[in-house]
Amino acid sequence: MDRKEILAGLIEVLRTIRTVDPAKLENVTEETDFMTDMNTPSTELINIAAKVEQKFDVEFEDEDIDELGSKVKDVIDLIIKAKARTEEERGN
Amino acid sequence: MVTGRKVAVVGMGGSFPDCADIKEFDQKIFSGQSLIREWSKAAERDKQIRSKVAGYINDNDLGIEPIYLVEGYDWPETFVDTRGRIPDINLSTADLGCVWAMNGALDSIEMAGWTKEETQSEMTGVVVASGGGGNVIMRNAWHAFFELGKKSRQAGSHMVDRAMSYREAANVSCLIKNRGVCESIISACATGLGNIGYAYRLIKFGLQDRAIAGGVEGTSLETFIGFDAMQVLSKGFAPAESSRPFDIKRNGFVCSFGAGIVALEEYEIAKARGANILAVIDDYFNNSDGDGDMFYPSYSGQLRMWKGLSANAQIKPDVVKVHGTATPVGDILELISVVDTLGEEGYHVSAPKSQFGHMLGAAGSVEFIVALLMLKNQQVPGCLNSDTLNPELENFQKKEGWQGSMKPAAAYRHLIPQETITKEINQVVCLNYGFGGTNSAMAISRDI
Repeated sequence: MDRKEILAGLIEVLRTIRTVDPAKLENVTEETDFMTDMNTPSTELINIAAKVEQKFDVEFEDEDIDELGSKVKDVIDLIIKAKARTEEERGN
Repeated sequence: MVTGRKVAVVGMGGSFPDCADIKEFDQKIFSGQSLIREWSKAAERDKQIRSKVAGYINDNDLGIEPIYLVEGYDWPETFVDTRGRIPDINLSTADLGCVWAMNGALDSIEMAGWTKEETQSEMTGVVVASGGGGNVIMRNAWHAFFELGKKSRQAGSHMVDRAMSYREAANVSCLIKNRGVCESIISACATGLGNIGYAYRLIKFGLQDRAIAGGVEGTSLETFIGFDAMQVLSKGFAPAESSRPFDIKRNGFVCSFGAGIVALEEYEIAKARGANILAVIDDYFNNSDGDGDMFYPSYSGQLRMWKGLSANAQIKPDVVKVHGTATPVGDILELISVVDTLGEEGYHVSAPKSQFGHMLGAAGSVEFIVALLMLKNQQVPGCLNSDTLNPELENFQKKEGWQGSMKPAAAYRHLIPQETITKEINQVVCLNYGFGGTNSAMAISRDI
């Protein structure tokens, strides 16, 4: 799964968050900031993380969430990291 | 305390079973229709549940569309208001009952004609609650955390605001942006009237000038099965015949859901701005049985309640809107406490639960709205299914130490109309009781 596919999946998740303005999802890039560009309520960030876990079949570590930046690329990085860890665990 | 302040009811709204709006509710109640139907959510559980009927509002009725997180799971992640009245940010913190409360608040404010400044004033309060917990919201938490072993965040970040005890008040307040009191008064099946009573006191005592008040009971199978487990729900009748207050064959109440919200305002302020006054509140009184019994109604507790209600107000009702749930003991004991207080003539008894069942935390406020409609229509709706009143004494009347009436229920047939009657109605007394031995009473009058 490349970064483009992950970004597309992430936008699908964001479309299900009712408090995110759909108009702001038109031009999302990896540099888009959830807080400053999309005006996402802070309470929704954890919902986005939970939904991303479901969508991509991964589980984030609490520390990963604590240190997560507010840009789209930060979430994509985290998904890739979590996927790699999951595959490693399953491989073992 | 500020003396001489009176409180007017200037708006009302709500969500009612099998009704699109309050107009349809008014029409159906006073034309003698039942709002009780077979409830598929109970019926599909077959032998797991005894009672199969309810006064219910579907999740997607009233212009509300639930959005499910996972297909096939029966807990909505959030709602969409297809009428566009409630913003998404407010819907994201609401359970279904909160959505009903917010809609009822908007209807009440619209009817009251409050300006934005009045609504958002420091002198405007919100006092709304429900009887039950946020069961439907908790389902996801139970499932994700306990059954699937997921991290806490899988329960969603809105579990607290959507399930906390005062969620209805909080959601209404965040929607209308009032700057005064925001609280919930919770007292089981007296909750609906209790919130209106508390809001009345806030205004009467000079702490607020106006308030949105009422009770809610959001649809919940958990609530339903709790009462079903106690074997106190009606069983074995066709839906429209299931709620039978006072009837000799009554075998339990019909568990129902809904919301009733009203707008209260200090009388002189309401008058000065030319508001349409639906009723004036004469007084409110509440007390406890004091006999240590969680469930069984108390004759002496109810007599003390009547005495308290009459202490500072002229009480001569044309209608007594009773709690009348259609459980075997409660109805006749309540009827006798009314008769022993008011005498055997000169008023009628109305039991609206015969038409829509027992809305629990919403019962007191929805029935209060029925009382407001009685004042408007100058009509008393009939007590459906009260076909036969017991010609013999109740067991509690035969017990040693009983001090009330020694007449059977059938002696009071003339007080309980079976069809809608038209008459002059100047005052209605509303009564509601709840588990824990709590009794509440409010008298309202026409503004003349």
